[in-house]
Amino acid sequence: MASTACFIIVSRNDIPIYEAEVGSAVKKEEAAHQHQFILHAALDIVQDLAWTTSAMFLKSVDRFNDLVVSVYVTAGHILFMLQIKIAYSLLICISSAVNTSLVGKGSWEFLPGIRDWTCIIIFINITLASILSELFLFSLTAHFIHTRLMLLHDSRNDDGIKSFFQEVHELYIKILLNPLYLPGSRVTSSHFDTKVRALARKYL
Amino acid sequence: MDPMILKHYMLIHDNRDGSLEKAMSILTQMRTTFGSSECRLLCVNSAQDGGLTDRQENPWIPYENYVLSNQNLGRFLNNDDLNEMKDLMHDLSSKHIIPHMEQKIRVLNQQVSATRKGFRNQIKNLWWRKGKDDMPDVPTGPMYTFSSIESQIRVLGDYAFMLRDYELALSNYRLLSTDYKLDKSWKRYAGAQEMMGLTYFMLDQSKKDAEYCMESAFTTYLKLGSSGQQNVTRCGLWWTEMLKAREQYKEAAGVYFRISNEEPSLQAAVLLEQASYCYLMSSPPMFRKYGFHLVLAGNRYYISDQRKHAIRAHRSALSVYKENTWNYINDHVHFHIGKWYAFLGLFDVAIQHILKVLACSHQSIATQELFLRDFFQIVQKLGRTFEVFRLQLPVINMSSLKIIFEDHRTYASSAAVNVKESLWHSLEEDMVPSMPTMRINWLESDPKDTKKQKNSNVCVAGEAIKVNIEVRNPLKISILVSSFSLLCHLYPVAEVMESVCLAEVGDQYDNGGIGKFSMPGAQNDLELKKMKNSWELSSSSSSFVLSEVNFTLVACETTVYCLGYIENCACILICFVIYGYKVQLTVAPKVEGILKIVGVRWKLSGSVVGFFNFDSNLVKNKTRKRRKRTMQAAGNGLNFTVIKSLPKLEGCIHQLPIKAYAGELRRVVLELTNQSEFPVKNMKMMINHPRVLYPGTLKDMETEFPSCLEKQKQCEQHNVQTNTSQVSNGLLFSFPENVQIAGERTFLWPLWLRAGDPGITSLYISIYYEMESCSSDMRYRTLRINYGLEVLPALDMTVQISPCPSRLSEFLVRMEIVNRTSSECFRFHQLSSVGNQWETSSLRSNGTVCPSQLLVAGQAQSCFFKLKSCSKSTFDDITTFSELQVSDVRLESLGSNEGLFDVSCAPLADFHNAASKTPVWWIMDGPRVINYNFSTSCDIKLRMKIHNSSDEIAFVRINTFDPIPSSGSQEGWYNISPLNDIKVTSDVLGTLSTKSSSPLSSIDGVSPYIWVASSSTRVEIDPKSSTEVPLQICLFSPGTYNLSNYTVHWNLRGTNNNSGFIEDGRRQISGTGIRPGHPYYLTVLQSP
Repeated sequence: MASTACFIIVSRNDIPIYEAEVGSAVKKEEAAHQHQFILHAALDIVQDLAWTTSAMFLKSVDRFNDLVVSVYVTAGHILFMLQIKIAYSLLICISSAVNTSLVGKGSWEFLPGIRDWTCIIIFINITLASILSELFLFSLTAHFIHTRLMLLHDSRNDDGIKSFFQEVHELYIKILLNPLYLPGSRVTSSHFDTKVRALARKYL
Repeated sequence: MDPMILKHYMLIHDNRDGSLEKAMSILTQMRTTFGSSECRLLCVNSAQDGGLTDRQENPWIPYENYVLSNQNLGRFLNNDDLNEMKDLMHDLSSKHIIPHMEQKIRVLNQQVSATRKGFRNQIKNLWWRKGKDDMPDVPTGPMYTFSSIESQIRVLGDYAFMLRDYELALSNYRLLSTDYKLDKSWKRYAGAQEMMGLTYFMLDQSKKDAEYCMESAFTTYLKLGSSGQQNVTRCGLWWTEMLKAREQYKEAAGVYFRISNEEPSLQAAVLLEQASYCYLMSSPPMFRKYGFHLVLAGNRYYISDQRKHAIRAHRSALSVYKENTWNYINDHVHFHIGKWYAFLGLFDVAIQHILKVLACSHQSIATQELFLRDFFQIVQKLGRTFEVFRLQLPVINMSSLKIIFEDHRTYASSAAVNVKESLWHSLEEDMVPSMPTMRINWLESDPKDTKKQKNSNVCVAGEAIKVNIEVRNPLKISILVSSFSLLCHLYPVAEVMESVCLAEVGDQYDNGGIGKFSMPGAQNDLELKKMKNSWELSSSSSSFVLSEVNFTLVACETTVYCLGYIENCACILICFVIYGYKVQLTVAPKVEGILKIVGVRWKLSGSVVGFFNFDSNLVKNKTRKRRKRTMQAAGNGLNFTVIKSLPKLEGCIHQLPIKAYAGELRRVVLELTNQSEFPVKNMKMMINHPRVLYPGTLKDMETEFPSCLEKQKQCEQHNVQTNTSQVSNGLLFSFPENVQIAGERTFLWPLWLRAGDPGITSLYISIYYEMESCSSDMRYRTLRINYGLEVLPALDMTVQISPCPSRLSEFLVRMEIVNRTSSECFRFHQLSSVGNQWETSSLRSNGTVCPSQLLVAGQAQSCFFKLKSCSKSTFDDITTFSELQVSDVRLESLGSNEGLFDVSCAPLADFHNAASKTPVWWIMDGPRVINYNFSTSCDIKLRMKIHNSSDEIAFVRINTFDPIPSSGSQEGWYNISPLNDIKVTSDVLGTLSTKSSSPLSSIDGVSPYIWVASSSTRVEIDPKSSTEVPLQICLFSPGTYNLSNYTVHWNLRGTNNNSGFIEDGRRQISGTGIRPGHPYYLTVLQSP
């Protein structure tokens, strides 16, 4: 069990929806705001880092003196990246299909306006791209909910932290499934709290 | 130290001090001593009398980074002097320094290449160094003299660096650093590494190498501890500059942070601030890091007593943390800014910041105490009562705001206030005049006047307006609130006349003398000022009376309510916490005019005054939603038109029980008191449940209660009819014309209470009265009284009628009576049949009907008697009524001398009339006792006979529902107490016979029986006809079952029935109705 461990779940717009001091050390008065400061500042790093990797568990993203911040990013942003990929591959498929179907036919080659045709194809591609990008940009705003589970710790037990995050994520998903829970609001369930503390005792 | 450094001697001569000749003689002396080429003379200040003739500005300005304060610098220098200085410097650098350096480089390079360059030298060097390994390891490393080869290399490297021969410098530093490393001379090694890093940077070749070198230099300096302290900082600064030049701000910030750890607090503060700016400059900007480092810097500034800088840093950080929900961060920043401002003596600003952290429910008690203590200290230092707009202590729950006022609707109790307005409205519909009497003619009425009336609610002078509001203490410490009172403004009538409407009055008042502000902060100030004004006005004027409340809010006063929802086997428990304190405030206007409730004002711990305004928009929406009575008030719900004082009745009902057994009859007394001196007249009364509560006559007051019901003189009969005619309009009861309540008198009127169906009944009584005083504003008022009555089940009765085998007009009746109470015993008194068509008699001529008169709790009894039809002719109802003759059978023991009750006398007959108004009657028919071996489940067929006694076609629907296994009719949300006293409730509510005979059914959750076939049956019954509906149940175990789990709904469709009421002689029959099922007991025995 780590001596200092502060666990926090950060929702959209950087609103903390759950906070818990899960360390074994005696809670100090000024520790609470210090931990919040460190975790809040670490969000900047997470913001940059989350887009560069597909891993959910980002270990030791930030540090302050001997305190280390590890973060588990839920799959919200990955969903978005997937959509972009789909859009892109779709575009390639369509454009190649159009190209082959038009250019592949030998009968078209003797037409005097063949260059115009290719122009049109390119034009179609561009319009398609713009339409699709608009489409998916829209869906980006609709689906962009990624929650960050952040842990401030002083131990080096990476495996334990990772499994802690995974189990808490499962618990969080159960909270999300609750029809009475409004996503993005504070998690007040005492059951969740006790479970998280038990997990912290087990893994950290 | 190398003695062979370049030397140059210069004589500076000030022309104002003496003549040139003296200087020249000194120069010649110098030349003879030091050599002619190394000495020079520089003459300055040759300008005459200090006149700035040809030059206005300071000559040093082009070379200076900052402007010196002394503008007269260089006043005596003329152009020649300046030129001479320039020439001197040019000569010095080009003719002496650079050639000297070049020469040095040449010499040193030769030396170094001779000793160190080449394969042979390297081997030799390695071997030689190895030999030195044995020497003891001193922390500073070995000493190097200036002539040692390492120093020579270093000098060579530095010269090369200065002359921008970076390649040469780099090769030398590289050579040197390996040497120092082998020698374990760490400080020198770090120096060489630092220079290497700089050289790499200047070469601008490989970023990585530069950073690697700086990093190793930095860490090496760090390892040295205190001796390397300054070097660490220098090296770090070089490094950050390097990174900044390459726009690697993020990395630079990290380095700044690392240096700051090694420095005392003031330097650390500066460095941390630099780090924060670096985060801001990086792309994308890292605002959160910026804020965090600013806060760190602020802390260091504070430690080193730089409070203004500390506040500056924290205030800049505040821009990042504004609008965020990380509460500990916000509290920390605001609290510290506030505290530091207080140190500086700026108490106003300090309080503004501390106010933001006061309502910190998330903090620990110690922190909350600290915040609160500091806050009060600052307020004390301020030296005056501080006024705060929207103070957070205590928190005022705006959604709980409820304003109770009485216009023409007055209320007897708070219970009556909480009843929905629509309910009262429907009750009073027939009683009150449909048009408001205050407007005689809409054409004549003043348009302004109507607008005014519309805009505000009406209240009466001298009567208090109550405002209920909930306050909450967010802290874990109890707080003391004193003189909590409303803030009101009363515009007297004269003032109102001048202005056109109320809104303008408000605007005029609001904008009087105060300019328009657009800033939100200024808006708050404006509000505060307005409220302070109105407080001063109200405290000085005597036009209304305000109540003041003092209370201590206990730390987070919590009450936990548990609600359980039980449905089949699933059980959800919800706990919710309410911590709040309900405050009731009153304002009683004394003069006519327009009253506006602005907000509330209170004192916290006697030193801070808090104001809270009821935002008019907020209240408007809320009142419209919550309370229908302000629907017509399109404007503000907080504005009241105060009218002249009027008489007001207060009333209550004496002796009304809270609990009663079904069928219980009581006499209760309605007491009405007129508080004013004016009499009221023309009183009417409306009761929502005439089957339960029924107005009596004045005579009833005089007689003694139970005995007045006994059979007496014939004159009672007459009374019945008069009474009935009075109540002809169903629910409406008019008091006799001559009834008047004079001023300051009390008036009593008897009411009969008969507990009807088991369950909880709400009684709504509305009394209408008119005023004698000719006030044009209001002609009438109503008094609304509300009581709750819980009716417990007492006796259940089922009958089975079979025709008498011997006589045609006689029937045999088997009546089963069950005592469903838990503790009460009942004694039977008499059995009567209402109406004169049937006559009851015992089976034998002088035998008793039932075997025993006493029925103990939970027991059942069977009675057998005869019914005889005594008249075959069909009388119409009126004649039947007049010739009412009752046949009674005494159930008591024969020796009893008590008189029989007259069921046809006033209250009994009235209740019977009211109860028998249902147009649809039904009886369940089927087997009563069954023997069955439960090898399979037992299906039992039942028939329900339904009779429609009305003149219309009746549509009847029978809904069956399965009984709740655990206990009785408990369904939906209800209160479960933590103790295991559910058994007690189930004894009262549940069917005892079911429990006693088949305990299995109530223990495991299997329902004792289920309805088979359709759960809802619809039939259409012609007027005055009957029909039969088949029903079927399925049983699983032997026992006695009460098959009353069904409801009968009916709907009459008359030819001329639009309003839902039908005029049928003297009776009114409701068009639709729902009745729960009658009890029907079925006993199933286990047969072998």
